[in-house]
Amino acid sequence: MELIVLNKRKDFIELYLSNVPLYIINSIRRIVISEVPSMAISTVIFTLNRSMFYDEYIAHRLGLVPLTSEPALSKYKPPEECSESEEASLFPPDCFVKLDLDASNNGEGLLTIYSKDLKSSDPEVKPVYDDIPILILGGGHKVKLEAYARLGRGREHYKWSPASAAVIKYIPEVFIDRSRCLPECRKCIEVCPRNVFKATDSGVEVSEAAIINCNLCHLCEKVCPSEAVMLKTRENEYILRIESTGSLSPKRILLESIKILEGKVSELSRKLEVQGVLK
Amino acid sequence: MIKLIFPIRCFTCGKPIGHLWEEFKSRVEKGENPGIVLDELGVKRYCCRRMFLSHVDIAYDVIKVSRKS
Repeated sequence: MELIVLNKRKDFIELYLSNVPLYIINSIRRIVISEVPSMAISTVIFTLNRSMFYDEYIAHRLGLVPLTSEPALSKYKPPEECSESEEASLFPPDCFVKLDLDASNNGEGLLTIYSKDLKSSDPEVKPVYDDIPILILGGGHKVKLEAYARLGRGREHYKWSPASAAVIKYIPEVFIDRSRCLPECRKCIEVCPRNVFKATDSGVEVSEAAIINCNLCHLCEKVCPSEAVMLKTRENEYILRIESTGSLSPKRILLESIKILEGKVSELSRKLEVQGVLK
Repeated sequence: MIKLIFPIRCFTCGKPIGHLWEEFKSRVEKGENPGIVLDELGVKRYCCRRMFLSHVDIAYDVIKVSRKS
């Protein structure tokens, strides 16, 4: 197994993996999307809403605001233990973070309320981005609400998913049959949207630096009049890309997903043992 | 789907984009090319890009006819 970090930014990670079966990488990818917990607002209680927006509209917007959840993962109870108390309208402090919004526009002009105006009861759980516009208040408009955030999983609602994109990409390989390639033909160069080909004196060549940008559209194959171009993908070599919403770092998302996968597999083997299947 | 204010996340992929709208709007109003502004803001996918390019701020018109207090 080989692993190379191709690209790493604050909210993005790109890994090159070889000699790992696709189903292993795919289980990690699916767990990143639907199982890794993160914080999001799940209940909003309005005490006053004299704005032009419906309660539901505001509550939906608040739910989509990403909240920092890195320390919260160990601090708060897992989602399964919290949903029962939420249904009973109880918000115990070991499950829920309270975020208050109290805003009024006493002037005549317009006032935009941003995510930074949410006052959190826990300084470690707050909106990731400060300038998300949540509401616009006209003259005399007023809003007062309390919102409760808890840990949740992406399979319940996408707002709890810590990754906005988790993608596996195949690694392309382009073969050019020299005996068939027509020297004056430049069709594959013209048609390629990612500029993978470059012109040489003898015909067409694949640019090594640009091949990774290939999006496997197969246009070069289709347009070639002599069927000299062949596009294939490498076996057991993949690129895994994870783009975070900001609630967790990409590194933490990967580590958590592996931990959850391990937990699921070991629980399965333990159950098999209890049933006596492994004897 | 009525978008009164600019959405917080992209409808299709879920990338948070709400915090980028005001910068995008002010820069485009100053005459910059919207495509280049989106590239610089790091909005790469076309699902997120259409959120910016197709958005009309209706809220500012609706608020004029809304009830006072």
